[in-house]
Amino acid sequence: MKSERLDMTQHRSYSALKVGALAVPTIAALVLTGCSAPASGSSPTGGAQEFTLSFATSNTIESPFQVLAEKYMASNPGVKITFNPQPNDSYDQTLRTQLQAGNASDVVVTSPGSGTGRSILPLVQAGFLEPLDAAAKELVPEGSEALFGTDGKVYGQAPEITVVGLVANETSAKAAGISDFPSDFASLEDQCKSLASSGKSFIALAGSAAPNTGLMAMSLAASRVYAEDPKWNEKRAAKETTFAGSDGWKASLEAVSKLNNAGCFQKGAAGAGFDAITKGLASGTSVAGFIPGPSWKQLKTAAADSEFNVRALPAEASSEGFVYASANYAFSINAASKNKDAAKAFLDWAAEPEQTKAFAEIDGALPVTGLDSYDFNGGAYKNVGDLIKNGKYGPLPNSQWPNSAVYDALATGVQGLITGQKTTDQVLQAMDTAWGQ
Amino acid sequence: MTATMQPKSEAAKAPLRGRRTPGAGEKPRPRSTGLQLGHWWWALPGIVLVIAIHYVATGIGGFFAFTNWTGIGSFKVVGWQNFEAIFKDPTKLGALTNTMFLAFGSVLLGNVGGLIIALGLNRMLKTRYILRTLFFMPVVLSPLATAYVWKYIFDFDGPINVFLTSIGAGDLAKPWLADPQWAIWTVLVVLVWGSTGFAMVIFMAGLASVPVEVEEAAAIDGANLWQRFRNVTLPAIRPAIAIATTLGIVQGLRVFDPIMALTNGGPAGATETLATQVYKQAFALGNFGGGAALALVLAAIILFFAVIQQRLTRSNPED
Amino acid sequence: MFRYTKLTLLREIGLWALALIFLAPFYFLVTTALKPDSEMYTTSPLALPKSPDFSNFVAVLTATGNSNVVLGLVNSIIITTGSIVGLIALGSITGYVISRSTRRWSKGAYYLFLIAIILPGQLGAVPLYMGARAMGLTGSAWGLIILYTGMLLPLSIFLYSNFFRGLGTDYEEAATIDGASRSQIFAKVVLPMMAPATGTVTIFAGLIVWNDFFTSLIFLGGSANQTLPVAMYYYIGSLVSEWNSIFAIVIVSMIPMLALFLFAQKRFIQGFSGGLKG
Repeated sequence: MKSERLDMTQHRSYSALKVGALAVPTIAALVLTGCSAPASGSSPTGGAQEFTLSFATSNTIESPFQVLAEKYMASNPGVKITFNPQPNDSYDQTLRTQLQAGNASDVVVTSPGSGTGRSILPLVQAGFLEPLDAAAKELVPEGSEALFGTDGKVYGQAPEITVVGLVANETSAKAAGISDFPSDFASLEDQCKSLASSGKSFIALAGSAAPNTGLMAMSLAASRVYAEDPKWNEKRAAKETTFAGSDGWKASLEAVSKLNNAGCFQKGAAGAGFDAITKGLASGTSVAGFIPGPSWKQLKTAAADSEFNVRALPAEASSEGFVYASANYAFSINAASKNKDAAKAFLDWAAEPEQTKAFAEIDGALPVTGLDSYDFNGGAYKNVGDLIKNGKYGPLPNSQWPNSAVYDALATGVQGLITGQKTTDQVLQAMDTAWGQ
Repeated sequence: MTATMQPKSEAAKAPLRGRRTPGAGEKPRPRSTGLQLGHWWWALPGIVLVIAIHYVATGIGGFFAFTNWTGIGSFKVVGWQNFEAIFKDPTKLGALTNTMFLAFGSVLLGNVGGLIIALGLNRMLKTRYILRTLFFMPVVLSPLATAYVWKYIFDFDGPINVFLTSIGAGDLAKPWLADPQWAIWTVLVVLVWGSTGFAMVIFMAGLASVPVEVEEAAAIDGANLWQRFRNVTLPAIRPAIAIATTLGIVQGLRVFDPIMALTNGGPAGATETLATQVYKQAFALGNFGGGAALALVLAAIILFFAVIQQRLTRSNPED
Repeated sequence: MFRYTKLTLLREIGLWALALIFLAPFYFLVTTALKPDSEMYTTSPLALPKSPDFSNFVAVLTATGNSNVVLGLVNSIIITTGSIVGLIALGSITGYVISRSTRRWSKGAYYLFLIAIILPGQLGAVPLYMGARAMGLTGSAWGLIILYTGMLLPLSIFLYSNFFRGLGTDYEEAATIDGASRSQIFAKVVLPMMAPATGTVTIFAGLIVWNDFFTSLIFLGGSANQTLPVAMYYYIGSLVSEWNSIFAIVIVSMIPMLALFLFAQKRFIQGFSGGLKG
């Protein structure tokens, strides 16, 4: 630390004899340093066969990253991977702090783009990530190159394609008398009303959890903004448009109030956490929730008798359907890593078609390669198969936003819309302000 | 905090009980000048550690208040720009109002409650030790654990709403932590609950130093309960009030963990305080410079109130 | 003349009533923690468990991996004890010297510590982490003990120096006349008298260190030495809304601190009154 310099200026005025007192804490610190250095997570102790892996974790389901890494260890007995799971809420902060201090894990899970605390682009700009090789480049989804790096280099390796829309409990929907899943927004509102009158709700919303309200607003914007203008984010970045000046975004946020007024959300939704979604969908008191597609598999373990499917949120007209499907996570290598070779060998292995397929299966997502030939029939993704085959999908919008404050403004703003504290204009203006931050 | 700094000496023989009658006059430290106790350099390790961990680290962090650092990578020095942005931002005013409301509300209610309980427990009670432990129990819970318990209580399906429904007042049931009007009050309830026991202990300590003879003398003179409190007890526990309120205000102004765990500043910023904003700006939203600037503003506010608080509780009209 | 009268009885009853209301959250804490899963959704949150059992506690205490509560408990005890020892050692000697010195620097030092209490800790977090990393103090219990000692030292010094100011110097003067050296005076005269202040520091700092979450999360980041609040956080993160298990771990986490308070409360309160006499 900087204290040595301060000490110097301090004891210049004191007699040399008394300097001894200073040496005590310093020596103590040095002794302790000696003891503790091997214990710190990332210190390289072995050869190239050892590395560490950081990922965010938030539920009982074993992390797919960990399952994959364990599989790697099983097939490569000489390799030892140390896991550094972090609570999801504090993952971004921990990752950034550790990267800044130079002791992050060798392999870290990041997110493409720039819209979150773990996003690749700002980390690349700060020089924290190592460029990856051709195998990673191969896996970058078409059109997403700009989210994975700059200057033609790639800094993240996509492990899967995540579909974001609704996850619906089809079994409880049928039990509640929904024979056909609503195909447009008006029939969704009708269904909401009839379910509300029987004490159930169509949507289980975690109104106090920013990631959930934000995901809802983005899902509403899928058909209203990004279906007709996939390049909207680029226009916003070029200042050709604003959130407040966009009719699509206005309509999207007004739709939040429409859903609220139609009684689509469960009682007490504004204060609910994620547990309300798990509880509501697993027990069948709610039909659907705005959660990432892979959640279907976790819900299935909680309610084995129910069938869970991934669906697009019904658009204003049934022909306007649009869904988000993109790589939302990536493996990256810490530029300060001393085990880059071992880390790269792992990433190369993970890029093999066999592993990407396995990873998608472990997590309940779509594989990052071979989407064109993917058989949607019969699986949880059968209802979004047509949209994806017809190209009616795009990347999750906030990955292209410049910082995490924009998404935060949207997410907290939507909660304000539900409680009546905010108007749509206020929310959109706050997003514009955050964009310029 | 320095209210307790007034030099003291003659308590030595009975350090925990004896107390001079007020008004006997405060003298400067009566130590003979020749007496040397301890060596100055005994204090060095402590001073060095505090300078390193508090001043140097905070100083480096404070420097970033004048930059546009995001928390990672490179940065530019931007002068006072972050401070200008704070004073132009209307949501910061809301956070300031909430901070004041929670700090002064919790200090007032927590201390009045703590004082009443301490007075109630003060003399003669057979079960005072059990009661004292019971009232202290909330202090032992971590902020995280406290928040979990109250989250359950205020949950939409939780005990409060179930109770309201059972007595036929189901209309009053609401998502308490997400209600724009009620959320801040629920936070206040939790803060007061967590701090009352602490204030109680400090006041019990203060009351223990009130000589029972003086109180008895006042009672014999025919002073009623209020007069006895006003003229005997209150002057004696003035230092306890000073330390309890000062600690309370310093803690209250930067209260952070309970709010993050209970409401995360929601709904839509209704319970946002300066401290939660500092955290969000600096760490969650990639605006370390802005968060650092806000932290300095908050530190200035805390210093301001701590000094005022000192002045108010220090003046001792009775003496 | 103060005797146990009817009025005192009334006061006692009133306080018990107040205590019961005040402790209502603990009613939910304990009853819910004793409810098996099957009762969680079938019984009212207000009701007592029909067939109370300790299965939640067993589940909490046998969890492994990141949510290894027992390991967290052990680490927390080590780190809290180490920090308290550091705070008592450094705090008492520093507080003693600055309260006994009549020189001007001691007043300056006093304010140095006082202001450090007010400084915003969040500002220093990142520089501290980088410094700790450079010195190899991250990821180990030792590092955290040094860190907590430094972080809470101003508070400890403040409490000790106030206590010593209130203590008077008669015994020390007598010892000086008897020819004791300064170190002997501190070890033989001052040390035995400072128990009340030590009680206050122990509980005050013990509570803060024991309950601290963010510092240990960041500074121990991912190492095997994580503390109880972090283990608790991981454990609860995996539970969604299983309040019965969550409350079982909350109870487990508060018992050591409650025991410490019961053990040290007399000194704790004396310590405050030592510093409080106006």
